[in-house]
Amino acid sequence: MKHIRAVNKKAQRIIDAVEDVVALQDQAPARPHIPTGCSLSFSPGWEVDSAGGTAGLCQPVERDIYDCYNSCFWPAQVPDHLNNYPDWSSKCAVATKDWRNLDLVFP
Amino acid sequence: MRRFDCSLLLLAAFATCAHGATLYMGTYHDTVIAFDEAKGQIVDTIQLSTGLPSNLRLSQDKKTLYVTTGDYSGIEVIDLATRKVTNHFVLNTPTKRIRFGASGVPDPQGKYIYTVTTEMNKLADHYEIGKPKYTVIDLAAQKITKTFDVAKEDEIAIGSGRGRASFDISLDGKYLYQFGEKVLILNADDFKVTDRMDLAKPDLPGMEDIGFGGQLDSIGQPGMHVSLFNSSDPIVHNRVFGIGRFDLNTRQMTFDPIGPAPAAMMGLQVSPDKTHAYTVVTTGTLGNKRCEFWQIDMANDRITSAREFACRSRFSFGMSGDGQKLYVYGAGFEIDVFDAATLQHEKTWDLQNDTTGGGLIVVP
Repeated sequence: MKHIRAVNKKAQRIIDAVEDVVALQDQAPARPHIPTGCSLSFSPGWEVDSAGGTAGLCQPVERDIYDCYNSCFWPAQVPDHLNNYPDWSSKCAVATKDWRNLDLVFP
Repeated sequence: MRRFDCSLLLLAAFATCAHGATLYMGTYHDTVIAFDEAKGQIVDTIQLSTGLPSNLRLSQDKKTLYVTTGDYSGIEVIDLATRKVTNHFVLNTPTKRIRFGASGVPDPQGKYIYTVTTEMNKLADHYEIGKPKYTVIDLAAQKITKTFDVAKEDEIAIGSGRGRASFDISLDGKYLYQFGEKVLILNADDFKVTDRMDLAKPDLPGMEDIGFGGQLDSIGQPGMHVSLFNSSDPIVHNRVFGIGRFDLNTRQMTFDPIGPAPAAMMGLQVSPDKTHAYTVVTTGTLGNKRCEFWQIDMANDRITSAREFACRSRFSFGMSGDGQKLYVYGAGFEIDVFDAATLQHEKTWDLQNDTTGGGLIVVP
């Protein structure tokens, strides 16, 4: 069912172009738009993978936590260690085992 | 019984004296660990003062380790004989931040580091974000001494517009090679491009790949760069993968195609005797990802064996100093050890530290 229909020529051209691209190419499904930078990613939940889900995350997810703020591998909400909380994880060498030693941060 | 005891003693003594390479890895927090392959344990921890290690690079003579750190865009130089930091500094200032694009490569004399950086200036009312530029960092002066613009046509080719493609350098230090969506050969003096080759590093979607692949390859022979590349014909764009062998001094290269390019491949690890090489090929993404080791006969450029293994969501791939073990590491605190001949899992080493994506440096 179509909920939106083109009411002028320009809109019709957009619909035609999009359908044409989808028909001709085996494109990967559209992924969520994620702004650059760890701290700018306001995704629901603690962490999501690049497709916006959780299937691609490490198991257990604590394996991911450091690369969420160092290399920004996955988008996640973690403390900003560059400006405001440089030592938030300094007592925790292995996040999977010692995650209780991570500092709580109250912005 | 006595003969049996003596045999056990002999074996134990041999095991104690067995010599393995030392692995260097960046770890949380702000440390580089030295891990002895033979003992299977950490033998030293080197504390850094400029932040988290984001990239590790070995000098051509394998005596010095160059570490870039992410917090304040720092550089630390480690003497591997003493395992002491001999030089360290940061490039950031209160109003200027430098972001490393590529992992960078030291010149053969150890005076400079060549890399790509992006400069961000904090002005009175806004931030000014510069474009990625080729950069020369003087290690003695502890600052950036030269920057050069990237040619417009190369902005994407050097790594998604951010300059993340890795570097290598000729033995005489005259030519730089940058391996991204093309291979660029540049003069080290002025970063003028002398040649461009239409060979691309294989795609690595969803992989741990901070430096865009180059440092993930084992480059056992100074002056040579041997790696996997993708090539496609100009008519139907059929992609094939193969082995590219660069003589960095003469700028000569050969490309030997092997087969259709898989969706994703990791770096090439060549055994010290150069008879075999190994890579990891993945199919599927995210929760559907499956991984295989591929063993390649380097004399005939053929795949000789393959074996699926249970891979992590994110990982890096490495090889032991003697070429008999394969390592899967990263995104955690362990190294999974596989036998290179059988491609079967043998054991797991606990590093007691989460590792950063700085790579694994093997020093014989």
